[in-house]
Amino acid sequence: MRATALPLLVSFLFFSCSNKEGNSDATANNSQKQDTAVAIKPDNSINSYAPVDVSPMDMSYFPVDYPIQKMSGSITTPPLARVVYSRPHLQGRNLFQDVLKYGEPWRLGANEATELHLYKDAIIQGKKIKAGRYTLYSIPEKDKWTIVLNTNIDSWGLHPDPSKDLARFIVTPNQTNNSIEYFTIIFQSTTTGANLLMAWGNVEIQLTVIF
Amino acid sequence: MKKAIGLLSLFQLFFICLLAQSPLPPVDKSPMDMSYYPANYPVQKINDKITEPLAARVIYSRPQKAGRPIFGGLVKYGEIWRMGANEATEIEFYKNVRFGGKKISKGRYTLYAIANENSWTVIINKETDTWGSFKYDVKKDVARTQVAIQKTDTVAESLAMGFEKTTAGFNLIVAWDNVRASIPFIF
Repeated sequence: MRATALPLLVSFLFFSCSNKEGNSDATANNSQKQDTAVAIKPDNSINSYAPVDVSPMDMSYFPVDYPIQKMSGSITTPPLARVVYSRPHLQGRNLFQDVLKYGEPWRLGANEATELHLYKDAIIQGKKIKAGRYTLYSIPEKDKWTIVLNTNIDSWGLHPDPSKDLARFIVTPNQTNNSIEYFTIIFQSTTTGANLLMAWGNVEIQLTVIF
Repeated sequence: MKKAIGLLSLFQLFFICLLAQSPLPPVDKSPMDMSYYPANYPVQKINDKITEPLAARVIYSRPQKAGRPIFGGLVKYGEIWRMGANEATEIEFYKNVRFGGKKISKGRYTLYAIANENSWTVIINKETDTWGSFKYDVKKDVARTQVAIQKTDTVAESLAMGFEKTTAGFNLIVAWDNVRASIPFIF
């Protein structure tokens, strides 16, 4: 029994895993791809204008994949929210020994301050927030994270200015089994709006957003 | 019993496999980037060394040359080019500017170009939050202007954008492969 079960298991695993790899080039299907975490090594010697950053920037919309949906005509209403952030990666480091420290503010990204753009008024963690652009930062602790919405936009992520805090949300982090190499922010659709999900290493935190 | 254990491990392995297929997005091979005018405004801001008021920001993705001929090759002459990758390249003005002899009101716009051998037509369009240039609509153009391009000795592997100060305002510099364009904006 064991002799037959093992190859079966292996082949089953192989096929179930390889299934979704096949469409890894389909840009519209980004959400299905795993975080392959191929380190981008910027070759800055041949680009004197603006070097490619080691923590590349990225953008997440809500509704999810809004620009593609708009292009394909599957959505005609305006977008509701967008996050623009940079994606540091672990590169073998331990998130809570080498990168972040409990109790110290962390910019939820890298480089330019992470930006949340609400295209319409929303309720975040039960608090009414007006449409507009905000920055986000955090204060991580072992059992809780404080996520801060701040009005000091177009700023650099270091040294957030607490006098411009608009709201603070205390959330409980989830421990995940799989480790995420690149810091990631996405919106996940819910019945009333979206969860703004932030993940790095084995930590996952989320804010509930109602539109 | 053995069968039950086998089945159980099969489900466990399947579950582990599903976990490995994280729903989180991978890092894009054309990474996004951002440039401000004045240059490095966010860094200036946290150091209390702002040189002049915030005027513009561009958000764009950075495709790589990867050995390909770019202008006249990947970017076909005479055709609309998204001047980036993935999400449409976005330019935001924090104050009114003049571009191609027209007043552009402050706000967010998309940026496109039609490349030719010796010049580019640069286009500012009002359809934002869209993808590439696939649904580019000329009716939503706000202004166009033609700029001369320079051929450079060095090759920019990744599409690059940055702002530089001019006497009347600022230029948006766009460079890729061995081509460099300076797009003028006037206060």
